[in-house]
Amino acid sequence: MTIAFAPSAVSAQSDTSRSISFAFLAQIILILNSFIMLYPVVVMVFSAFKSTGEIFEHPFAIPDFTQVQNFARVLGETSMPTYFLNSIVVTGASILLILVLGTMAGYAVARYESRTNTFILLFFLAGLMLPLKLAVIPLFILLRDLGLLDSRWSLIVTYTAIGLPSAVFIMAGFLRSLPSELEDAARIDGASEPRIMWSVMLPLARPPMAIAAIQNAVPIWNDFFFPLVFIQTDSAKTLPQGLTSFMGEYTTDWGMLFAGLTIAAAPITLLYIALSRQFIQGMTAGAVK
Amino acid sequence: MKLTRRILMGAAVGGYILSAGAAMAKTELTFWSWRQEDKAFYQDVIKKFEAKEPEISVKFETYAPENYQTILSTALAAGRGPDVIQVRAYGNLESIATPGYLLALDKQAVPELANFPDSALAAETLRADGKVYAVPFATQTMLVVYNKKIFKDAGVNPPQTWDELVALTQALKAKNITPFANGTATAWQNETIVAALLSSQLGKQFEDDIVSGKANFTDPRFVNALAKLKDISTNFAPNFTGVDYASSQQLFVAGRAAMFAGGSFEVANFKGQNPSLDLGVFASPVAKAGDERLIARYYDGGYAVNAKTDKKDAALKFVRFLATPDYGTAFTNTLKNLSPIKGIKIEDAITQDVAKLADNSMSYLMLVRFRYQEPSGSVLLQSNVQKLLAGQQTPEQAAAEINKGIATYYKPFQK
Amino acid sequence: MPVSPKQARTLKHRSWVAFLVVPPIVFMSLFVVYPILSAFAYAFYEWRGLARGEFVGLANFKEVLFGATMGPVVWNAFLHNVYALIALMIIQNGGGFLLAWLLYKEPFGFRFHRVAVFVPVVLSTIIVGFLWKLFLNPNFGLVNQALYSVGLDALAKPWLGDASTALGALILANAWHFVGFPTLVYLAGMQRIPSEIIEAARLDGTSEWQLLKNVVWPLVAPSTTILFTLLFIGAFNWFEIPYVMVGLDGSPYGTTDVLGLVFYRTAFGNQSASIQNFGQGSALATVLFLFIVVFASMLTLWLRRREIQF
Repeated sequence: MTIAFAPSAVSAQSDTSRSISFAFLAQIILILNSFIMLYPVVVMVFSAFKSTGEIFEHPFAIPDFTQVQNFARVLGETSMPTYFLNSIVVTGASILLILVLGTMAGYAVARYESRTNTFILLFFLAGLMLPLKLAVIPLFILLRDLGLLDSRWSLIVTYTAIGLPSAVFIMAGFLRSLPSELEDAARIDGASEPRIMWSVMLPLARPPMAIAAIQNAVPIWNDFFFPLVFIQTDSAKTLPQGLTSFMGEYTTDWGMLFAGLTIAAAPITLLYIALSRQFIQGMTAGAVK
Repeated sequence: MKLTRRILMGAAVGGYILSAGAAMAKTELTFWSWRQEDKAFYQDVIKKFEAKEPEISVKFETYAPENYQTILSTALAAGRGPDVIQVRAYGNLESIATPGYLLALDKQAVPELANFPDSALAAETLRADGKVYAVPFATQTMLVVYNKKIFKDAGVNPPQTWDELVALTQALKAKNITPFANGTATAWQNETIVAALLSSQLGKQFEDDIVSGKANFTDPRFVNALAKLKDISTNFAPNFTGVDYASSQQLFVAGRAAMFAGGSFEVANFKGQNPSLDLGVFASPVAKAGDERLIARYYDGGYAVNAKTDKKDAALKFVRFLATPDYGTAFTNTLKNLSPIKGIKIEDAITQDVAKLADNSMSYLMLVRFRYQEPSGSVLLQSNVQKLLAGQQTPEQAAAEINKGIATYYKPFQK
Repeated sequence: MPVSPKQARTLKHRSWVAFLVVPPIVFMSLFVVYPILSAFAYAFYEWRGLARGEFVGLANFKEVLFGATMGPVVWNAFLHNVYALIALMIIQNGGGFLLAWLLYKEPFGFRFHRVAVFVPVVLSTIIVGFLWKLFLNPNFGLVNQALYSVGLDALAKPWLGDASTALGALILANAWHFVGFPTLVYLAGMQRIPSEIIEAARLDGTSEWQLLKNVVWPLVAPSTTILFTLLFIGAFNWFEIPYVMVGLDGSPYGTTDVLGLVFYRTAFGNQSASIQNFGQGSALATVLFLFIVVFASMLTLWLRRREIQF
């Protein structure tokens, strides 16, 4: 750090050495940081191949990767596969609803002049700002009255409500940027408005849809708070909530605990590694203008 | 193709409705519980009941314990809910009995209430109207569970007095054995530890004095007992302030510690995790020889009837069945959990020991007496003992804080 | 009355637009607007379990903020939220800014580092919480084991059981979880700075530090605004990490208690206090809600003013 604080009036020679040592320092910091980010995940995976005794005796050792009993037990004797399936159903259905409703509203605001457009955008902007977590009590009572409590629907509607505003903004922002010549040409050909939307405009809107999908999918997949309040039946639990029951059940078997965590973390981590660019772009979309 | 499928489906649905209609001749009761782990036992009990009462069938449904109260009150508030309900006791019972969700039980409707000791019925009684709302199902006690093999190998015996306990922990430590597996990181563990280790020093008289208002929690009996606890805590698990419930179970089950101060319900739990454990139990040691040896006791809960059920007669029949000595015997021997019903036959040696110890008991004080209002005595005891054992306050300060909290609503302390 | 073709078209057009707009608005109204307005209303009633009782005016607010029982608990928790906000602002957002600057220069392996720093962000908070809880276990956990193995026994602690380290441990776990987010948001912000500006500064012989302080930092101000606002909202809604790592009571003895835990305990009860109080829970939610909205808007406005347009 002393180098970076050095006064600016310096010769060209020390300038080069300065940038070299800065690059060196930067390398060390980056490598150290990546180690801190990844090592806990690596230990989690390694420990999943160990017995509890091995974890306690040799926490840092590289395990025998043929020892997959923990994984077999997690998949065979626990409800983890059910939780997994529920997470897929809930996340998938929520994203579908978010995209459908978000595209509808976004399209209307972006492509049709109307005095109510500002109002509609403000309406959704409010939804973007307000943490729905704090309205969980009335939501709980509303879902009870609708008979949705303790079902996957309770989560799907909640997540859709949370994700909808951001989808509206992403879709409206993109659709507004499309030139109007496209739809004018179709209109002259006599195409109906739904036809124009469906066949002309939407095929162009796949990239923002992907961003809206990823931006919402990760928090929905990982959410814990709403299932904690809404879901009680084991067969309707999603992965994060199911994981807490699982962790409670196998408290003293650390090999199982790490195997459970590894299995829960695996799909999204692997997907992220495969599609890191899209993930990063999607998840930071709300914060990057 | 589509049409045939539709017809088939229609037929299937129709058939289903018809068969459901046929079953309607039988009275079907629903029965809710939070005891997922006892499912096999309850299915068996239900089979026996159905054999006895062929016109009634019972559907058993369980929910996770941490959410049970919420689900139950939600369903009851909506005028739904099961016909027969496993409910908790004391303050928890009041929160669903007070709004009138439960049917009051008396000796006419349920003559089997005579099978229970008064303290058990008191646990399921609403203080406001003095009526019983549930048939109690389990007695729980707070005591010390110990590993017989470790004791034998170390050549030590269960202690009678507090001094013997201190000597015992020194002997174990000299042999490099952790005396107590307990830790204080999980808040509620602090309450169980206090009851398991200190009841004999507090004494029944202390409880009576608290209830009558003659004494409060700044009483020397309470303060001195806390001081003793602070001293003995050096014998808890290494780094005990960071050891949570799971880790202390782990230490004990793995045979890395000799004793566990906690609930009698842990015995079945420990055995389940490590069947080779040879366990014994003893009551909290007395301050001086000749004092009364006590454990702390409470009742877990009971079986209640939904006030809004339209199958009241069948539900009462089932609840009466759950109050018989035969049921109590099966409950105790299958679940290794003591039924409060008088005249049961206990097979298991360690459950017999627990039952014997339970004859001499005081209340599990904060749950039984002070869990009706905020701040509950339990929350106060837990956090202040946690703080005491972490060395952040003295026994006097802890006692004063607990007393101050309870005094905000407990009239006898407000003088 | 006959409908002219033009009227028919506008009618058709209008119903088409309505078809697009009405379902999303109805959905939002039902599941966001209505619950939030209800939360305000609920706070003015007494509740017996899930049954609404008497209108009690501001009594719930009074108890939550100044009551003998709830007041101290709430303010104690609020203080911890403030600590978390300040600490995370420095560690998480500040650390993210520095990491972003290092990545911005595209040193050797920067693609790998960029992917690595974001790995914990995609994990569920529950997984992160459990993982660190296991690592911080005083006797079997990785952290203390590592300290023992290098002879630093004196530093080993019951991290989550010690009042002096528990909250810090939660904050660090959270920073580990999320530092990748500000890093990549700042990185995107830096990449938007026209390269001529940085080139020009370099030619002037500006030092690295001055470049960062006087050029880069002001130019990524829009990222700072949004990251700080998000952190602010996140810090006062903090729940999952404390819930998993120290439990609903904010163990030890309330030293890690935060408003999210207080809210949950009040509204839905916990093991040691059976009382479920929707009225006080709603009052607490309402206060928190107004606090977040008012402060977040003020902050955004204030931070916006110092942003430089380019």
